[in-house]
Parts: sequence; structure tokens; C-alpha cells
Amino acid sequence: MSNNAATNAVAAKEARDKSYRKKGIMIALLSGFLYGGYTAFMTQGMATGVWGDLYGGTGIAAGMSAFAAVYTLSALGAAVNDLCSGVWSIIYGAIIGRIGDVGRTLKTKPGRILIVAAIIGGPLASTAYVIGLQMAGSIIVPIAALNACIGAIIGRFLYGQKLSVGMVAGILICLAAAILIGSSSMTGAEINGEAILGMVAAFGAALGWGIEGAVGGYACCIADYECAIIIRQVTSGLVNGVVLVSILSVMGGDGIGNGFKWLGAALTDTPSLWMFFVAGMFASFSFKFWYKGAAMCGAALGMGCNGTYAFWGPFWCFIVIGLGFGVDGYAIPWQGWVGAAVMVGGILLLAISQDKASREA
Amino acid sequence: MLPLNMAILDVFTDGSVNSRADVQEKLRANYGNFKAFKDASMDDALQTAMSNGLIAEDHYEVESDGYVKIWYKSDKDMIDVINSYIR
Repeated sequence: MSNNAATNAVAAKEARDKSYRKKGIMIALLSGFLYGGYTAFMTQGMATGVWGDLYGGTGIAAGMSAFAAVYTLSALGAAVNDLCSGVWSIIYGAIIGRIGDVGRTLKTKPGRILIVAAIIGGPLASTAYVIGLQMAGSIIVPIAALNACIGAIIGRFLYGQKLSVGMVAGILICLAAAILIGSSSMTGAEINGEAILGMVAAFGAALGWGIEGAVGGYACCIADYECAIIIRQVTSGLVNGVVLVSILSVMGGDGIGNGFKWLGAALTDTPSLWMFFVAGMFASFSFKFWYKGAAMCGAALGMGCNGTYAFWGPFWCFIVIGLGFGVDGYAIPWQGWVGAAVMVGGILLLAISQDKASREA
Repeated sequence: MLPLNMAILDVFTDGSVNSRADVQEKLRANYGNFKAFKDASMDDALQTAMSNGLIAEDHYEVESDGYVKIWYKSDKDMIDVINSYIR
């Protein structure tokens, strides 16, 4: 091979590697963007149709406990969303020919890992987050945003992924941006025993999401991410709907029967169900790109890019709920825009630092 | 029968050096009719496995149409990791 041909070959190979990296970053960024759509449609779904009765304690929800109004309904919303998302994921998986591999994946170790990751990051972390919000207020939002840092640390120690000083700085900038975005809705909470317990619960949520992002992402370098999302959403939907709603209904003194009655009503309520189905489609793509992004870029960069959901959530709520449904109170404050700009800087630093660390390895 | 992505990794557990086309040839009998058996999906799976340290690049060449053909292999540590997940 002549020197010229060798140089061209190296350039072609570098272009191919660069293209793969760009694709990974785009997929990870898309996961954060689509998470916003999931948030907006689920939020509006939980304010429509039968949810008016459920949150108002009227009709089928007459006599509902105060506990259920907070905790059981949160689990119910997550269950309806994840079940809709699971159905959509199965339909999509059938269209692209993945159903057979889902069954085969379930019999393997990565399949079992994905189930456990889905339970940790789905029902457990989401419930911990709601508990944190209830006990300590929105001051816990930045604590929960630590999930990207935790995912990066897990990726470093469990899978030997790269984590340089520059990458840590990038993650911290993203975290600061998420705190700034969340600060506009923060309420002052008195720091007492209950608030501290709430913060511990929020840290539990961050831990759960960090574990899911890092472990689920790594599992997707062994298992197909299209199969992983079906396993994730169906597992999360069933555990939320059957196990968690039952447990919370008993804890609230409402009885398992009422929990299933509310679930049945929500799953057959056409005015809200189509919104949950749209939210579920967004969730399906968002979560599978979260896994895929972490598999392609590593947990640190993948989860850092996914962290843009802190901006895209309020943005989509403003577009869909504020402008689309004409509900007031969803305008984005200046903190949202400044935080988004800061986050772009953090992701750039994260990506450049990871690229540098890869070249030095 | 393993899921396709795990079967791809399994090809490397005997220490052999394989390009994407080699992997496809070895798996064609059982997986040839899979939609994910297409060149782009297989290249994607191999590159993701490589970026996570399950397989490593052995050598490459650029074909006349500009396609970068890469041959991969796994060392003993990588084979141990793969086997710990797919066996």
C-alpha cells in the first residue's frame, strides 16, 4: 500500500469512527428531547377524563384516602403510561421483527439484568422520587438530577468506562444547569427530619436511575436495544400496575379492589388514554435511546446528554399543555433558557473530554 | 438458540478474527432471515461491542467503494466477559 493510500485509509477509518460517535451523541440527545414529549402528554393525560374524578375524590374515587391521592395515583399514572408504552413497543417490535429475540433474550443473563434494572429504575426510583417530593418539596429536584453522576461512577467502576477530569467537570456543569432549570419551581422547605428523609428518598431515586442507565446501557452492548425496551416497559408497567398499586392501595387503607378499579377505569378512559398512548410512544423511544446512547457513548456521556430532559420537559409542557391545550402556568422562565445554554456547554466539554480520553487510551 | 446480538459475540469466543461479512456467513443458516441481519445493523452491533471492550479491532482495509472493512477479535479477558453473559 502506498503512503497516499495508507493515509486515505486512515482518514476513512477516522471518519467512520467519528460518524459512530456523532450518531451515539445524537441518539443520547434525542432521548432527552423525547423525554419531554413523554412528560407533557403524561401530565396532560393525568389531568383529563377520569383523572378529574380520581384527583377530585369524586365518582369512582369517592372516599379515596389522602395517601392514595398522592402516592397510589402517581403509581397508577406511571402504570398506565408504561403499559401503553409496552403495548406500543411490542407492536413496533413486531413490525421490525424483534419479538422472537425478546423471548430468547428473557432466557439469558442480560435479559434478567434488564428486568431488574427496569424494576429499580421504574417503579422503585419513581416512587422514591414522588415520596421525596411529598416529604421535602421540589428542593429534591437537583438531588434526583445526580443520577447522571451516579451512572458515570457506576460505569467507571463496574465496566471500566473512561471518566477523566474533564468529563467529571462536564457532568458537574450539566448538574448545575439542571439545578438552575429546576430552581424556578423550587419551594422553600423547612429542613426537619421529614425533609431529610425526603432528600434520602430523592437520592434513592437518583441511585435507581443511575443504576438503570449504566447497567441497562451496558446490557445493550450484549442484547438488542429494541428487545431491551420491550422488556423494560412491560416489566415496569406490570410491576407498577399489579404490584405497586396493590401495595400502595393497602398502605393507604383503600384496599386492593379499589386500586384495580381505578386502574381499570384509567385503562378504559378514552379521553385520557390516547394521551397516555402518545406519551407511551415518546417514552418507548426516549428510554430505548437512553439505553442505546449509554451503550454507544458510555454511561457518562450518554447520561449527560440524556440529562437535557431537565430543559426539554418544561419546553414540551409549554408547547403541548401551554400552547396546545391553552393551560396557563407553563411558560419557561429565564432560568430554563440560561440553564439550557449552560447544559450545552457542559455536554460539549463532556464529549470533547471523552474523545480526548479515548485517543489517549 | 441465542438472540442475534449474543450470537454475534459468541462467534468471537473461539478467538477467531472476523469481519462483519465473516460473522454473517457463520450465522446465516440460523439468522439469515432476521430483519436485524442487515449489514448496517450488524456493523452497528459490532461497533457497539467494540466500544464497550467486548471485541477489539484487529485490522482494516478500505474497499473500492469507500467502505471501511474491519476485522475484529476478542482476547481471553474479553472472551471471559462475553461467556459470563451469554452462557
